[in-house]
Amino acid sequence: MTVAESLSEVAEETTASHRASFRWQTVLPWALAAVIIVLCLVPFFLVIAISFGRKIEGAAWVWDFTFENYQRFFVGTLWPDEVTFLYLQQLGYSFWYAVIASLLAVMTALPFTLLLTRLSRKAQAAWLVFILSSLSLSEVFIVMGWDILLSNNSGLPALFKSTGLTQWLKDMGWFQVLRDWGLANPRNVKFKTSEFATILTMSYLVWPYAVILLYPALSRMDPSLSEAARTMGASTSQVIRTVILPSVRLPLVGTSLLLFVFLLGTYVAVTVFADPAKHTTAVAIYTNIRGANLNAPFGATQAVILLVSASICLTLGHMLNRWAEAR
Amino acid sequence: MSGLHLKGISKSFGGTRAVEPTDLTFAEGELTALLGPSGCGKTTLLRMIAGLEAPSTGSILLSGRNITELPAHKRKFGMVFQSFALFPHLTVRDNVAYSLAISGTPRGDAARKADELLDLVQLGGFGDRRIGELSGGQRQRVAIARALAQEPDVFLLDEPMSALDAKLREEMQVELRLLQQRLGITTIVVTHDQREAMTMADSIVVMSNGRVEQMGSPQDIYHRPENAFVADFIGKANFFDGIVRSDGIDVGGAMLTAPAEYLKGSPVRVAIRPERACLDTEPGPNRVAANVTFVRDLGPVREYHLKTDLGPVIVEYALGEGELALKAGDTCEVRLPPDALHVFPADPPAMAAE
Repeated sequence: MTVAESLSEVAEETTASHRASFRWQTVLPWALAAVIIVLCLVPFFLVIAISFGRKIEGAAWVWDFTFENYQRFFVGTLWPDEVTFLYLQQLGYSFWYAVIASLLAVMTALPFTLLLTRLSRKAQAAWLVFILSSLSLSEVFIVMGWDILLSNNSGLPALFKSTGLTQWLKDMGWFQVLRDWGLANPRNVKFKTSEFATILTMSYLVWPYAVILLYPALSRMDPSLSEAARTMGASTSQVIRTVILPSVRLPLVGTSLLLFVFLLGTYVAVTVFADPAKHTTAVAIYTNIRGANLNAPFGATQAVILLVSASICLTLGHMLNRWAEAR
Repeated sequence: MSGLHLKGISKSFGGTRAVEPTDLTFAEGELTALLGPSGCGKTTLLRMIAGLEAPSTGSILLSGRNITELPAHKRKFGMVFQSFALFPHLTVRDNVAYSLAISGTPRGDAARKADELLDLVQLGGFGDRRIGELSGGQRQRVAIARALAQEPDVFLLDEPMSALDAKLREEMQVELRLLQQRLGITTIVVTHDQREAMTMADSIVVMSNGRVEQMGSPQDIYHRPENAFVADFIGKANFFDGIVRSDGIDVGGAMLTAPAEYLKGSPVRVAIRPERACLDTEPGPNRVAANVTFVRDLGPVREYHLKTDLGPVIVEYALGEGELALKAGDTCEVRLPPDALHVFPADPPAMAAE
């Protein structure tokens, strides 16, 4: 074999290897795109398509292209003769619980995380491991724990009564306030089946997420910022208001939005603690798809509206943040 | 009793003593530099003065008033941090006006005062900028203006030049000193840069291992170091370990004449500044034979590295002093004038601190 032949062979081998590499570089992105489409977008588009389907009374449902489900959601089935806002109300409760619970979680997680960042590295690691491991608890398990804690016969109300705290509240006149808030019956305090219990449990569910999400930003914050403010005459509350909160505004907004979206889908806590008249869209979706109603198209409609509403909220939050930043 | 006084102030973190019990007086209107290597406790001392750390023992007196328990926000001490600690969410003007806003000064008055201070630090017209739009030197000026806004009783600066490049650092040292002299504020600067301390300070406190090694004017500290650590940390020095004998100090068999007031047989350390050692022919005591091992020109001075019976010796020779053309490999004699020698007790812990 001559040198020229050897070189030609090597060149051919190199060209073949380049061709194979080129084929892979072309195919791989398409293959990945196909996987993403099949796994993520197809189910999403299926839900959208089903939301336009039609329920057959006494049977399942059929593919269709009707806006009846959307009409039912916004104004009720009897529109225009009669208008009902039942499903909009459920959506309202979804937002109400999610907003308050996410804000509560962020507001309580902020001082805790701030203190956490000031502990020794070892203590921080121990706390973070504990908080991370608590994320592995299922929602059912957590709700069960709170159910016991807030139950009228064996939880906090029983403790209130046995320690005389209930009587003390009555003597002080504060018991009536609790009754007005729906947190007491004529005999004792009552936490279960209340917005208080629902929001508290939902807040507890996402609290570890709040800590984990706030921790990086707070641990990166230069402690000399707070110290500088202190040397310039700022009290602790002024330092928090004028230095810490503005410095972590972006992570705070981001965390609140994330927790809010996460909480929109809460199911177990709402079914256990909320008054049935105050159930959320997430509960209604389950009832329609897997529960008693077996009305998958209407469940899908509710899911789509919940998703669109959450997207609008996120967009508004983002716009608000940009506006605040520009100021 | 004016000025700032520290009485027996100390700080321990767990079992570690960061600052040994310390007594210091900072004269009113003067600039004092706390100088020492990293970890010597100078920043901890400054933070105790600022009220950011509670002292473990002792008290802090300002014009005779005990302020030890007073929280930082009630001390009215302006402080410039190593990182400058400027608030990124505020404009330059709002940063400078921060203490005024906190104290309830009307917004217009605060903005006016902030603009005056920005003029003072030569940053007039920068008020509307964001902190991210400033250079390192400009940030430092904003930090100084901000700390001065509350008209502090004491002005504290924690390594204020460490984030600046060498040239800017030199310029800012002079500017800061001129500003301090103009305002007449009692000022304490923490630094590990002896040149910075010598440039700016009326007096220097040299610290090591949590304790004050020496306090004095820059000239005192340089020319009359009280121990081997100070002699070594401030400027350069040649050191020889020896034993005190009746006729001088025995350094490895060679006898040195030196003003030693130590008992015979005491182990001592002898130090001499490189510029005080002479490569001349003048007769006198302490002439030692030497081999030139290395020569380097440092611009205004030439440095000769010598090998002698005493050990290695560095001699700094000002180029204006005359012609001296020694090169590596040459032999010569180095003269160590007795009045230029400093003799310290051999102190293993002090040596370890280096």
